[in-house]
Amino acid sequence: MTILKQPPDYSRSLFRPTKVLVEEEAAGYPLTESIIGRLPDAEVVTIKRPSSEELADLSRQFGPRTTLYLARHRGRFLKACPGTAESYRCCLYQILHLALGCNIGCSYCVLQGYLNNPFITQFVNLDDAFAELDRELGRPGIFYRIGTGEFTDSLFMDPLTELAPGLIDYFGRCKSAVLELKTKSVAISGLLDYSGEIGETIVSWSLNAPRICAKEEGHAATIEERLTAAALCRQRGYRIGLHFDPLLDFPGWEDEYRQTVASIFTHLKGDDIIWISIGAFRFMPQVKEILKSNHPQTNITAGEFIRGIDGKQRYFSAIRRRLYRFLVAEIKRYAPDVFIYFCMEDQYLWQDTFGFAPADNQELSHWLDKCCYRYYD
Amino acid sequence: MNNVKTDHCLLSDIDFDDRTFPFSYGFLPARLESSIAAVGLLQQPLLLVSDNGFKIVCGRRRLEVISKTADGSGKISVCLAENSSFQELFRRALWENLAIREFNPVETADIYTAAAKLFSIDEIEKEIMPALKLPLKPRFRMRCQVIAGFSRKLRDLLAAGSVDVETVDLIKGWSDKERTALTDLVEETGLRRNKLREVVSRLDDLACRDEVSPLEPLFAARKAVLNEAGGIDVELLRSHLKARLYPQLTAAHLEFAALQEKFSWPADLRLEPPPDFEGGEYRLSFTFTGSDEWRKICDKLASVALEDVDELCRRP
Repeated sequence: MTILKQPPDYSRSLFRPTKVLVEEEAAGYPLTESIIGRLPDAEVVTIKRPSSEELADLSRQFGPRTTLYLARHRGRFLKACPGTAESYRCCLYQILHLALGCNIGCSYCVLQGYLNNPFITQFVNLDDAFAELDRELGRPGIFYRIGTGEFTDSLFMDPLTELAPGLIDYFGRCKSAVLELKTKSVAISGLLDYSGEIGETIVSWSLNAPRICAKEEGHAATIEERLTAAALCRQRGYRIGLHFDPLLDFPGWEDEYRQTVASIFTHLKGDDIIWISIGAFRFMPQVKEILKSNHPQTNITAGEFIRGIDGKQRYFSAIRRRLYRFLVAEIKRYAPDVFIYFCMEDQYLWQDTFGFAPADNQELSHWLDKCCYRYYD
Repeated sequence: MNNVKTDHCLLSDIDFDDRTFPFSYGFLPARLESSIAAVGLLQQPLLLVSDNGFKIVCGRRRLEVISKTADGSGKISVCLAENSSFQELFRRALWENLAIREFNPVETADIYTAAAKLFSIDEIEKEIMPALKLPLKPRFRMRCQVIAGFSRKLRDLLAAGSVDVETVDLIKGWSDKERTALTDLVEETGLRRNKLREVVSRLDDLACRDEVSPLEPLFAARKAVLNEAGGIDVELLRSHLKARLYPQLTAAHLEFAALQEKFSWPADLRLEPPPDFEGGEYRLSFTFTGSDEWRKICDKLASVALEDVDELCRRP
């Protein structure tokens, strides 16, 4: 096992804002009060709910990199993962929409092209979120896989928001759903210190090649740090998910991804892992310019990208196939029975890599549901 | 605005090099030239007295048309601004121009860049940028600054519409030397707009992928596609760059063509792979004029070996 020179601080929030913008409607909520209480030196400014133009003004007045935005969410909290067009298989995941944005700064982050709000935003009306979950999850005969890490990183500022324990507690008691907290951070103190019923909460880490982690993943924890944190979470009783997404094609990728796979299994056993997803790099065409503008040093968009049937740029299929076959074979060397699936990939590449393919999204969803113990309860 | 008086001045006293009010750049419209040739100057230009002669506030194109034919010693009737701030005059010229025409990208960039020195951020964002139809996002401001710094040649191409703003975004990080090589290529080949953007995009991607200057793939491509007369075939240039950027996709297309040849695939049954081999749906097309031809086509289709079809449809 690799010994880290200095263990990371698991109670450190990756985001320490110096200013907090509080929408008038968000004032007075317990989460608003507790976050502000944990930021005694931050300047707190109360504002009216801004129009999109006023939001741009606010962005110039208050730097989004150092400002946290607290708001009341008016729409639905539980949403279907946007996924992609039917031609590629998606797992029918559900997103619990509690926050927006992240300051880790990955060059490849698709949120750069999707979010209109430049601020890292935390929604504070948790009572509304839980009320909606009560209504939705009470429907008979439906099993939900729910994650909070689609429009943000699930844990990067958890020491500041302390949301995780409340979520774990709720889903620990809920029999028709599992919660997945997806991160590139090691801010897991709230998970380790939580003393209640864990249920089947999954803590997942996005993984990549060490070189990609160093070059393209901003302030994210190193691969070793992530896997050490994963092992600690596993010891505490959480199930562990791993996500190789985005998989990138670059000179020397085989050795680099081989290293990451080997590292996984110095920290975890195959049985510890509920699932591993794999997705080759893909992006909407308009994101390319934004990505190059925000990260001029990166060359990840300069590969052999073709236009997929869903309109996204993705590697030519021969490249994807080579990446997938290699990674799946490496993982299977250590953990032949671990469940591996593709995120947004076509049936041909499923068939070619695994020898089988889900007939449709429902079937893929069912395969993932079956990975969860409580699905059978 | 009342602080204007009518007067006369010599063309030679007008400072054409001054671009304090940079409201026009590029070619002179033929219709304006015809109009002035037929009936002279209908609307007086607005000028401002300065130490170096008269600054042009509004009416540069009219004055340039006249200066092409007049010898400079003739007097022309003008409006002279008095006791007006630069901001007032700038606004007047901006809105007078907007009332009659659209600005080209060089003009837009020059106006924005000049305005940024004259007006507050609030005025820029609330009046000038919306008037210029510039979104408030930083990349559009940066685009203006980049264009303002382009060479004369490149600005001329942009003003004439041979280069589009998407291409500007692609070359904003290029050095002067790299941009000069590009303008030379444009002059030599006549490449413009969409095809030019495609070429630039591929050069930029190749440079980015291989971590070299765009000059490297550009010079390599030039060398590879020069014809006997020393000229460049644009289509060959495009194919060369595509093959270099998409080596595996190009190989897959070649392999597909080779397989058709190997299986003696009938030439009149046009078989196409899915675009970029993505998705798996192959397309077969043919033409016929009646039942005889239809029967022949059916016979040909029936004679195709199924193993050959499987091999052709095997995704790369």
